[in-house]
Amino acid sequence: MAMTTSQRARMSKTIQIVLFVAIIIALIAIVDWKKAGYAFFSFNKLGPMFPDMILVGLKNTIFYTIISFAFGLALGLLLALMKMASFAPYRWFATAFIEFFRGIPAILVLLAFGFGLPQAFGTQWPQPVNVMCALGLVSAAYIAETLRAGLQAVPKGQTEAARSLGMPAWRAMLTIVIPQAFKIVLPPMTNEIILLTKDTSLAFILGAAMAQYEMTKFGRDGISQLDAGLTPLVVAGLFYLVITIPLSLVARKFESRAAKTKR
Amino acid sequence: MSTDTNQISVNAAGVEISGLRKSYGSNEVLKGIDLNVAPGEVVCLIGPSGSGKSTLLRCVNLLEQPNGGSILVGGFNATDPEVNLDKMRQKVGMVFQQFNLFPHLTVLENCTVAPIKVLKRKKVDAQKIAKSHLERVGLGDFGERYPDQLSGGQQQRVAIARALSMEPTLMLFDEPTSALDPETVGEVLAIMKSLAQAGMTMLVVTHEMAFAKEVADRVVFMDGGVVVEEGKASEVIGNPQQPRTQDFLRRVLDPTHVDI
Repeated sequence: MAMTTSQRARMSKTIQIVLFVAIIIALIAIVDWKKAGYAFFSFNKLGPMFPDMILVGLKNTIFYTIISFAFGLALGLLLALMKMASFAPYRWFATAFIEFFRGIPAILVLLAFGFGLPQAFGTQWPQPVNVMCALGLVSAAYIAETLRAGLQAVPKGQTEAARSLGMPAWRAMLTIVIPQAFKIVLPPMTNEIILLTKDTSLAFILGAAMAQYEMTKFGRDGISQLDAGLTPLVVAGLFYLVITIPLSLVARKFESRAAKTKR
Repeated sequence: MSTDTNQISVNAAGVEISGLRKSYGSNEVLKGIDLNVAPGEVVCLIGPSGSGKSTLLRCVNLLEQPNGGSILVGGFNATDPEVNLDKMRQKVGMVFQQFNLFPHLTVLENCTVAPIKVLKRKKVDAQKIAKSHLERVGLGDFGERYPDQLSGGQQQRVAIARALSMEPTLMLFDEPTSALDPETVGEVLAIMKSLAQAGMTMLVVTHEMAFAKEVADRVVFMDGGVVVEEGKASEVIGNPQQPRTQDFLRRVLDPTHVDI
């Protein structure tokens, strides 16, 4: 019995849905709900985590993200401009920097600042400074490549028109090129901020005073201190979404506005 | 479009080019060009693509760095390494084939951004001057629009108004109608013609032979990086002396006639 193309397409969709539902039902059936409920959903025992989880943890996660991003953005812009420079040593330095910090795990850079620096120079920087420098260096490597791509995506004619009107190179860059590049780099930049938000969770490795805990540290401490299984981590995860989902929504709003008008 | 009612006074400058050379690697694009343009004169550069005419034009405001020779523009020695290029470019308007309007700025902002940021004009003054030039090109009511809301011909007219808003003493046109739909070519040429009549010094790279014949004081035919023939527009186009000029004009003026 031959089927038409549309019948076959409908058949295939039905099979996919049935498979999907079957897998979900199987998973639900396999799970030991008594244990899982204790491990993941013991929300009633989390009282002691609050309000510090929000007043300290959420606040610090946001704080670390902002300072790391600010540092990474400034350094990334500098590296992007160096990578486009006509002076070759600038390009070499920027390339080496980007390859190095893009290639090693962020946690190693954090450890270098937290434990390596005191041994090398005998100075101990405050935790937020260590986090800002370590995550800023790593994100600068990614941001530099994003910005360079964005700046180079603005047509050369824009710079030529600006220079022809008597604008110095820096003015053409500031007034004509960067505003247009900003719209191009917005989606990848949103990605970068979201990645950075999650990377601040690595700060727990440095250990610190309670006032400097971020959300993952609270989650980990909650596991050992509260009789609630892994539920504290579930809560920490939900709070990350509280930060990242609104970020995505705001970025998408910007994007659709830019797409609608092409400017 | 009544552009004649809206004349501006032009303080025109001349251009003196001598021995100009430009190479890209081993490819020599300009092989020693001598060309003078008197203040208020309109000179059209014609020639096949790859002849170096656009490169020559772009050398005049140093968008391309020449390898040899000298260029004097108004009071500026453009090829002097010490020259203040930004100051010089304030006096040299440039109109591009692809318009190159700033897409993130309104039409009016396109015409005021450089006067405000570069000439340090007050915003109201810059707007007043820009509006008069937009009216001059027939787009007085389009100030609040964005470039992508305009037709190609309208965008090119804005580009001309943008250049004029700097009150230049010399205008360079790099194939200003080549990217336009045929029905919008005329509106751009009409504005260029009125600008020529107002006394602006103009150096125009173009394939519009009718325009060159009617508006240009002088036509320069280039091929292979050298000036092959130059003279009064009617003579070079109407009665070319050099075989290469004759060959080129036959192809341009009678495109369906092909020697195979």
